Amino acid sequence: MSVKRNLLEVKNVTKKFGSLIAVNNASLHISENEILGLLGPNGSGKSTMLHAICGRNLPTSGEITLFDQEITMKNPTARAAAGMAIKFQLARIYLDKTVRENILISLQAKESFFKQIRSATLKKHEEKIRELATEFQLIDYLHLPAKQLSHGQQQWLEISMAVAVNPVLLLLDEPTAGMSPAERKETAVLIKKASQHAGILIVEHDLDFIKELCDRISVMHYGEIVASGTPQEIESNPKVREVYLTRV
Amino acid sequence: MSPVLIFAGNDYLTQIVTRILVYGILVLSVEMSWGQTGIFTFGQAALFGVGGYATGLIATKANITDIFILIGLALIIGIAIGMLISLFLFSGRRVGELYVALVTLALSYICERLANSWTFLGSGNGVPGIPYPSIFGHSLGSNIQVFYLVLVIFILLMLLCFYIVNSQFGLTMNAVRDDEERAEFFGYKRPRVQIFTFILCAALASIAGCLFAVSEGLVSPSMSGLALSTTTVLWVVLGGRGTLFGPLIAMAVLQIFNTEMQNVLPSLWPILIGIMLLLTMVFLPKGLSSIPNIIKSKREVKTL
Repeated sequence: MSVKRNLLEVKNVTKKFGSLIAVNNASLHISENEILGLLGPNGSGKSTMLHAICGRNLPTSGEITLFDQEITMKNPTARAAAGMAIKFQLARIYLDKTVRENILISLQAKESFFKQIRSATLKKHEEKIRELATEFQLIDYLHLPAKQLSHGQQQWLEISMAVAVNPVLLLLDEPTAGMSPAERKETAVLIKKASQHAGILIVEHDLDFIKELCDRISVMHYGEIVASGTPQEIESNPKVREVYLTRV
Repeated sequence: MSPVLIFAGNDYLTQIVTRILVYGILVLSVEMSWGQTGIFTFGQAALFGVGGYATGLIATKANITDIFILIGLALIIGIAIGMLISLFLFSGRRVGELYVALVTLALSYICERLANSWTFLGSGNGVPGIPYPSIFGHSLGSNIQVFYLVLVIFILLMLLCFYIVNSQFGLTMNAVRDDEERAEFFGYKRPRVQIFTFILCAALASIAGCLFAVSEGLVSPSMSGLALSTTTVLWVVLGGRGTLFGPLIAMAVLQIFNTEMQNVLPSLWPILIGIMLLLTMVFLPKGLSSIPNIIKSKREVKTL
């Protein structure tokens, strides 16, 4: 039996905003090819936790390591270089750029300037762009500005941009927000496929979506992780039922 | 021909067209930094002045007229200053557009004050009597020859900018302009993109300053001042941020009207320009070059 390496390790992270403790002494870990769901109602601190992991808001205390490399205080560029990619809650794509340009922006991010300047046309990476666009059903829209895409397509575009760079850790903040049930199903398939190459953290408030998809789930409430386990364990956990499920 | 005669000379039109080309290089530098990369700079006139004064002083005091040496020296000084400012502004955490605007505005102010008060720089009189440049020992003897020199350099630099904007690096510049933070999450080294672009634009502005000095035969404090700084931004706003040709056309049209209108309506003309700027910002935030697109999309709506 192969032992899976620990990919992301978050140890005793606390984040304070003045006197407000948004995340209190929270720990979690993700192994290779594992999908972890971070579940919690609005204001439970799961977004703050995600921001601490991705480097948007540095934690007040605690330690975050990626492949045994400490990244707690590293900036987003360094984290991207270490193999982290993110999809934000509201799709942050380049609305005025075409779908092709958007994917290229992600693909070329780590190339040197001189390599970029030498490449006079935007035709580079064409094969990879077409491959991704086909996978995410965007192939017919490559030439369209991203602002003309539907809401669900914009989400897919951002996920495809994150997957494009073959990240080792993929952070997805509410990947299906505002999607139709059919689009959700399709998204689940795409995420499952991406997990063949990466560990994935999904932040959600909808248990139904992630219980099918995730290997493990951690539940946050008032800034603390109140339960962790398999989807079945989480669903039957009385504490989770009390603080979370009954309120939905 | 002495430099004084250039202004009194009969080939007045050549002078105006040459100046438009020189300003063309300057407006390219503002467009590349603000229009393409989102660095809201009011400092291009300062770097323009630095290039001009460096050229003027070297040409008059050291008697060097070779254009390649003059451009080379202006470039070195311009790039050095550009590097200092950009390292100060961009090497740390992200700073806002307004902060960049204020720092570069202060730079222009400092340069203008320095030029006005330092006797080495000729104080209020500036540096007059800059001779015609020479190429490979062959001295250019008339405005029309200088015009051809400026034209060639302008075309080369414009092609360079056009090439960069359409390369993958152009996309990188736009990625930083449209969402700095997002670009960092993709792994872009945002400070390096901004520093590289700022230095490139400092180089463009100092070349423009050098050509201004040799074509006008005179540099004065106003060429590095707040008025010109604001004007360069105005050209880009009017022409349309994010397009290379829009600002060039806006600048050329304004320059052509400028000389006429300053005679006809000397006090009203600046006010008219101000009103134009306001109207453009309110009704055409993407500049005059966006009009064709607006008409096109209106037509599409009608056909729907």
